[in-house]
Amino acid sequence: MAVFEDLSLQERMLLSFEAQEFLYREAALLDEKKLDEWLALLTEDIHYWMPLRRTTTAKEVDREFTRPGDMALFDDDLQTLNLRVRRLGMGRAWAEDPPSRTRRMVTNIRILRCEGDEILTTCNFQLYRTRLNSEEDSWIGRREDLLRRVDGELRLARRHIFLEQTVILAQNMSNLF
Amino acid sequence: MAESLIATGRAPWFDVEHGVLDRRIYTDPDIYAEELEKIFARAWNFVCHETQIPDPGDFFMNYIGEDEVIVVRDRSGAIQVLLNSCPHRGNTVCRAEQGHTNSFLCSYHGWNFDLTGGLIGMPGEDTFYRNDVDKSEWGLGRAAQVASYKGFVFATLDPEAPPLEDYLGWVGRLGIDTLATHGDLVAVDGVVKNRIKCNWKLAVDNLYDWYHVKISHGSALRAGLLTDEAMAPMDQMVILGEYGHGIGGPGMSEEQQAEFDARMASGKGEPQWYDLQAQRRLDPAVRETLGPIGTRCLGHPNIFPNLWIALTRQVCLRIPRGPFETELWWFTFMPKDISEEERRHTMFMANHVFGPAGLLEQDDGENWSHSTRGARGTVTRRQPLNFSMGRGHDRVEDDASGQHRIETVVNEHGQRWTYQAWQEWMLADNWQELIANHSMPPKGVV
Ligand code: FES
Ligand SMILES: [Fe+2]
Repeated sequence: MAVFEDLSLQERMLLSFEAQEFLYREAALLDEKKLDEWLALLTEDIHYWMPLRRTTTAKEVDREFTRPGDMALFDDDLQTLNLRVRRLGMGRAWAEDPPSRTRRMVTNIRILRCEGDEILTTCNFQLYRTRLNSEEDSWIGRREDLLRRVDGELRLARRHIFLEQTVILAQNMSNLF
Repeated sequence: MAESLIATGRAPWFDVEHGVLDRRIYTDPDIYAEELEKIFARAWNFVCHETQIPDPGDFFMNYIGEDEVIVVRDRSGAIQVLLNSCPHRGNTVCRAEQGHTNSFLCSYHGWNFDLTGGLIGMPGEDTFYRNDVDKSEWGLGRAAQVASYKGFVFATLDPEAPPLEDYLGWVGRLGIDTLATHGDLVAVDGVVKNRIKCNWKLAVDNLYDWYHVKISHGSALRAGLLTDEAMAPMDQMVILGEYGHGIGGPGMSEEQQAEFDARMASGKGEPQWYDLQAQRRLDPAVRETLGPIGTRCLGHPNIFPNLWIALTRQVCLRIPRGPFETELWWFTFMPKDISEEERRHTMFMANHVFGPAGLLEQDDGENWSHSTRGARGTVTRRQPLNFSMGRGHDRVEDDASGQHRIETVVNEHGQRWTYQAWQEWMLADNWQELIANHSMPPKGVV
């Protein structure tokens, strides 16, 4: 296992740059609604997960997020992500017709670990969405993305999304994070 | 028309005979304030499932209308429903959505309350208060009555409310039984919550609405998440109960039930849209509980006012947040002792059908928020809404089963019944009046 900190500065810069470019490109595909191209960046075994979050006392803050296998806002594999994208293209996907407008900011990207073909990254994000004339949603959170090199190209193998929100203050989450 | 209807407060908002609704009931702030008083503060409200708070000290926070309540298991194992407001200045004594505690310590001046709401400590009780406060009189407010039916805990803030089982009646009980008969239920961790800018009644009325499915959820059907046949079958069954409870949606005809039973016995025949739900009712004990009609009934129960029991082993509370906003809370249940495959299927449905990211429910919110918006225009809101579908064309079957029901096509009987009951609740000044004047479920032609 290569510990990121043990790599040379140049190696770290190259790896960081590559991960960052990947995450920016992938965010742009979502903003531009090029969802098929986005799907093509995912590995077969992708786990796309957004647990629920609730307000707890400080003493019980370890129970703040639901655990894998319990209730979640997203708990998707490649098949269900495909289904989400397919559904949007079917017509009568009213939450996105007229389409909402989204812009994603991805910042504070750090590499937590790298091992073999995999790079575990964390980043902060903001997803800003407007709809019709006056509706506005903004989600800020942290992601842990596992990137894997497949045939020389980076792919997204895992995305865990931790939102800074408990009750979702939006009428839907018809977009991807 | 109608300018005076709301002003008098006694004239009908809902014309029961024609199925025509004055849409101002969605936006009028005075009507909303009255709903909190006459409906939520009076009804039995679902507060949580027993398995969410298994041990003494476990608590879950909920709302009854806009009253915040702490549902907590006390040291004797009983469930208490306490108003989350300190009687000193009114501060909340519990800020977490769920958790475990030994007592509720107010963060303002430190009054401390035990798990039954009793005041057990006040800083300076002797030095500042000179021991002249009778602590037994200054505990947290409590729900007037708390009871549970098959693990589902309800509370009412009105001491005059009839006992829970009477309140539910056979229709409300059957509604809960449709879920409770899935097995020994345990709540899955995590209540999915989101806010929609709609009036709570529009969300409630939608649970009976099998008319919108093919349009609103057209994309999910086209994408193959669910089949057309299962989502909007021609065979529908509606069961109406006292105080506004009801069940509406798909129902197997007697022929379909016979076909299903024969197919299960012989192992031959084609799968049908009703198989999944019907299979859960193969056990004779389950059929005994549901009764012959309940066994064929696959619709959506609503426990008036706002608890929808969904077919996905979930229930959804629609909590009012002012006339223009509603919070949806999804609770999910897992029967003990089911196969790993069935467990996965339950979680798949729970995490992909409803909730804000649900492939079905994503498309509901905007319809409800825009329907609410439609009642805000000065002139627009004077235009009544049509709830007439099926009116006068159906008949209540009432036979030896004792389970009266309407067997028909897609219809708006459930919605009409909801608004009729809503109106009766709003016109009654207290439980006595409501008990005396509420409509019994209709007979004959409806
Ligand atoms: S408000 Fe609770 S102790 Fe003062
Ligand atoms: Fe719907």
